[in-house]
Amino acid sequence: MIQFRQTEIGYKQKLLKIDSLDLQQGKVYALVGRNGVGKSTLLQSMSKLILLISGDIRYEEISISNLSRNQMSRLVAFVESKFDGVEYLSVLDYLMLGRAPYTSLTGKLSETDKEIVLQVSSDLQISHLLEKSTVTISDGERQICSVARALIQETPIILMDEPTAFLDFINRQKLIELLNKIAVEKQKCIVLSTHDIDLCLENQLTFLIASQERIVIENCKNKQDLVANFQK
Amino acid sequence: MKKNRILIYVVGFSVLLPLVILIHLNSGQISLSFSDYFPTDISNLSTSELLAREFRIPRLIITIIAGSGLAISGMLMQTLFRNPLAGPYVLGINSGASLMVALSLMTGFHLFETEFGLIGAGLIGALISGLLMMSIAFRLKSQISLLLVGLMFGSFTSAIVSLIESLAAAEKLRAYTMWSMGSLQQVEFNQLPVIGFVFLLGLVLTFVLVKPLNLLVIGEKPAEVLGMNVIQTRFLLMAITALFAGLITAFCGPIAFVGLAIPNLTRILFRTQNHAWLIVGNLVIGAIFLLLCDTLIQLLETRISLPINVLTSLIGAPFVVFLLMRKIK
Repeated sequence: MIQFRQTEIGYKQKLLKIDSLDLQQGKVYALVGRNGVGKSTLLQSMSKLILLISGDIRYEEISISNLSRNQMSRLVAFVESKFDGVEYLSVLDYLMLGRAPYTSLTGKLSETDKEIVLQVSSDLQISHLLEKSTVTISDGERQICSVARALIQETPIILMDEPTAFLDFINRQKLIELLNKIAVEKQKCIVLSTHDIDLCLENQLTFLIASQERIVIENCKNKQDLVANFQK
Repeated sequence: MKKNRILIYVVGFSVLLPLVILIHLNSGQISLSFSDYFPTDISNLSTSELLAREFRIPRLIITIIAGSGLAISGMLMQTLFRNPLAGPYVLGINSGASLMVALSLMTGFHLFETEFGLIGAGLIGALISGLLMMSIAFRLKSQISLLLVGLMFGSFTSAIVSLIESLAAAEKLRAYTMWSMGSLQQVEFNQLPVIGFVFLLGLVLTFVLVKPLNLLVIGEKPAEVLGMNVIQTRFLLMAITALFAGLITAFCGPIAFVGLAIPNLTRILFRTQNHAWLIVGNLVIGAIFLLLCDTLIQLLETRISLPINVLTSLIGAPFVVFLLMRKIK
């Protein structure tokens, strides 16, 4: 699904070099590593918000450099660590923006688009929030709404920058369970960056360990394995 | 329920607009009859028909265009910068236009030797300062620093204008001083087609950008991931704002606070971030607001001659303070 080949990423200076790495659909990957190692930069490079220094990232065999903004928007969804909400922007309006890659110049949603929005809202149990403003709901609800918007975008790949950072421990567990379920049921490839190692271990996510300018893929079973990898 | 609320406002204001237009037309000192606005023989106009054609109609139309155009350009800037306190005036776009007009009026360095040289000067000044502010804005993180830079830019340009003023000949200085007070009475009937064309062009372009505007509400990066072309959108929004602000500043002088206050008022009333509705709202509410201001000016004309910029500041400044207290605590 996602292939890295001699990929050098960085913003102003080189942060990570990934010689060869393949990520599969139906899985949730936890991108871990110390502050400043380049987790956010990697995710932004994968969304083509930052250009690669050299090498290539391929989505379903197509090089990222050959994908237009619009093609990208149908392949990759991105969830930021925090969406603060916008005054007078209702949850429904926010979710409907997720269909933007498929609407015409006017941005008007078709009946099918609307059905997708309503279906995802009911799947994620946020139908009761639709009429509310994005500023009045709780942080946890807002995070679920961001995930919902990414699902509504109907992309095979979802990238998330520290989605658990502002959530309490129950909402964290709920979110990871939800992502695991979505990855398997909808055969999506989900990559999330996090510092919440215990949570990822408990939920048996596949680790992408960023350290010393490299990325190692590892199915760690416990903290000792992980720490050993950090120091490799 | 939400849509009903917006519809009620849109219908309400649309009914109000023709009423305000009638009041505006009838607030001059000499009363005209309805038929004076529709002369039967253009080549042989009576005094009152001439008054209607050369003064009342141009003043009415430029007031509507200035109110609507400033409100819409304020809305565009507020969405682009995701800052409710942005607007062509605060961001120094008007200042840039003023500087070019000052250069054009007082130094004899005419950019365009045509009748519409003033529009050219206003547009170029607005566009240059707009692009300059934009290049600075995207290096700044804080919303407040953007406003401070706009303020500094305004002070800087007005210092240059003062410098030009001190060197200018008396009659040129007078022409500039008159212009800088802001006036809705400088437009002539035969200039209306060009002004109307530029305004409609800006309006059509604004409607074309509804989708990117709606996406920008959630921020530039999320909008980009959803397929929006950031560079192109930034440039187009700035160009449209410069088009409106440059046109209006050239013909009416600087008019403060309309671009800042009206988009906020519209959002508070409509409670939506859907720009299709916000554009319609700004269009109508901006026009009504400036028509009412100008009506007041005409009614007070026998006692004091109040420049439009003074009146909009008197009403707008307290409203903006209210907004500040509400948003930034």
